[in-house]
Amino acid sequence: MFDGERLAARLRFVMHSNDQAYITGVGAFLPGEPVPSAAMEDFIGRIGGRGSLMGRRALRWNGVETRHYALSPGGRPNHSNAGMCALAVRRALDDAGLGPEDLGFLAAATTQGDFLVPGHAAMVHGELGCGPIEIASFQSVCASSLMAAKSAYLSVRTGEHRVAAACAGEFSSRWFQPSFYEGSSLLDDKQRLKPQADYLRFTLSDGAGAVLVEPAPRPQGLSLRIRFIDLVSLAGQFDPCMWAGAGLESHAEALDGWSHLGPQAAHRAGGLALLQDFDLLKRVIRAWVGVYLKKVDEGRIVPDEIDHLLCHYSARSLREEIVSLLEKTNGMIPEEKWFSNLATVGNVGSASIWVMLEAFLRSDRLKPGQTVLCVVPESGRSMVGFMLLEAVG
Amino acid sequence: MTTTTVADVLRRLTVVFTEFERRLEQTPLIRKLTRGRFEMADYHAFLIGLRQQVKDGALWMSRAASNIDEDHLELRSTLMRHAVVEHRDFRLLEADFVAAGGDLETIRNAEKNIGSEALSAWMFHEASKPNPFGLLGAMWIIEGLGSIKACEWGALAQQRLDLPDTAVRFLLYHGENDAEHIGEFEQMLGMVLPSEAVAARIIRTAEVTARLYALQIEEITA
Repeated sequence: MFDGERLAARLRFVMHSNDQAYITGVGAFLPGEPVPSAAMEDFIGRIGGRGSLMGRRALRWNGVETRHYALSPGGRPNHSNAGMCALAVRRALDDAGLGPEDLGFLAAATTQGDFLVPGHAAMVHGELGCGPIEIASFQSVCASSLMAAKSAYLSVRTGEHRVAAACAGEFSSRWFQPSFYEGSSLLDDKQRLKPQADYLRFTLSDGAGAVLVEPAPRPQGLSLRIRFIDLVSLAGQFDPCMWAGAGLESHAEALDGWSHLGPQAAHRAGGLALLQDFDLLKRVIRAWVGVYLKKVDEGRIVPDEIDHLLCHYSARSLREEIVSLLEKTNGMIPEEKWFSNLATVGNVGSASIWVMLEAFLRSDRLKPGQTVLCVVPESGRSMVGFMLLEAVG
Repeated sequence: MTTTTVADVLRRLTVVFTEFERRLEQTPLIRKLTRGRFEMADYHAFLIGLRQQVKDGALWMSRAASNIDEDHLELRSTLMRHAVVEHRDFRLLEADFVAAGGDLETIRNAEKNIGSEALSAWMFHEASKPNPFGLLGAMWIIEGLGSIKACEWGALAQQRLDLPDTAVRFLLYHGENDAEHIGEFEQMLGMVLPSEAVAARIIRTAEVTARLYALQIEEITA
């Protein structure tokens, strides 16, 4: 970005006519040391004292080699979800050359906070310990990250706030512990955990990430102008695909959820564990591709103009026919433009996109003027988010 | 001037198909199937409902072939081959119905439902036009349904109702049989494109066919 443009952006802001928003800082927090696949069950435990049969298959499919856990072998926690988020926010502030006292707005996302009540943003604010600020909590799965980011982006664009943070964190390993499954109908006749539950234990891990949003690029170094954040939910057509709070058989009926059954009956029904419907996932993946191609068709996303793609789904986990369909419809962004650290940091759910963006920026691949498309699919009840960024500075 | 390429048409057709899948997911019959509330009577009704369109499929394809001029002989040949391959499929479907405990006379004497009436009338109407290239859009929808949805539905129905393999052959066989269909379809598009008018007609025909096909499924009641 030319200095003139930077000056103009600053002037627009001073004159209250600014309608741009820039990511000026990124932070990530990954707890502990990387854990290799062979040691995973020391951390998440062994159901009924026996190793998993599903694990290897899950790892082959998701491509994760090492990941991080916020607890020690045996299950003792070393952090809280909110605490990891607060650390990520501090790192993002630090990256932007700011401190907690500069923050005006905090949007916090997670799949499941430390408590059921109050909201995650309040818990993160508590851990940050800074003065009175505006907050907003977003609870969904992976795409909650972009819900929070959109809130931060809009609050800056409308001039409500000058410094807004969006953070996302996950502490998945705590509810992968054997006690969440033992004594429930999620174990089969041989006391093996059903694949709908076991698969996610070998797929998701812990960590947090955050971005800082301001109405002007930072004085030095690269900033990322947010061109748009689009979120599309398809929940109107699909039942829950990845869920917790209801057992395997009754997850389409909200009244069969844990809070209506009561905690003990809910546990017996398998209603306190995180579960995935694989058959539905195949349909949901096609629907994501449909949403993406519609964006391409409308000109909202122009594949040829994308310099870098960040997605916490690996290209190789998409089935061959999906890749072939993307290629035949001029929708494919070539694999050499995909950046991913999924294999080394694991799938950190909502935090993934920020953890990936942080590593991407550190990799020095990004040049001024280039575009970065972030794609955040969420199987929860089927949604997909897109964020298009442009490097300035 | 922009030229609508084969890739552009395929992309728009994929978006139309996604919309089609959305409608299908929301029909009462498919909701029952995906929520585990599907019963044998639903499977019988499903096969009865599908049979009408399957039986007509080869017929409208033949009629469309007969209306293709000699500048497009290769497309005509392709449609004729398709018609030959598919024109007995409804017999397989009838056999599935019987293997699932249904009575042959019931399925043979069943009336078309309202959606099937509309779909059939539309297909023959389009097929009766000179060079009815728009029907490639209809084939995309109907064959896509066969290659993508049918095997999902067949597997779910078999699992829920504990059906023998001999009772789900039609739904499962289509899934296996149509895996190559995108490549072949691409070739067919290449025979009539580039042309803005033809591209627009293919998309429109796909949209109408998808809506009427979903109506056919909506109208299936046990």
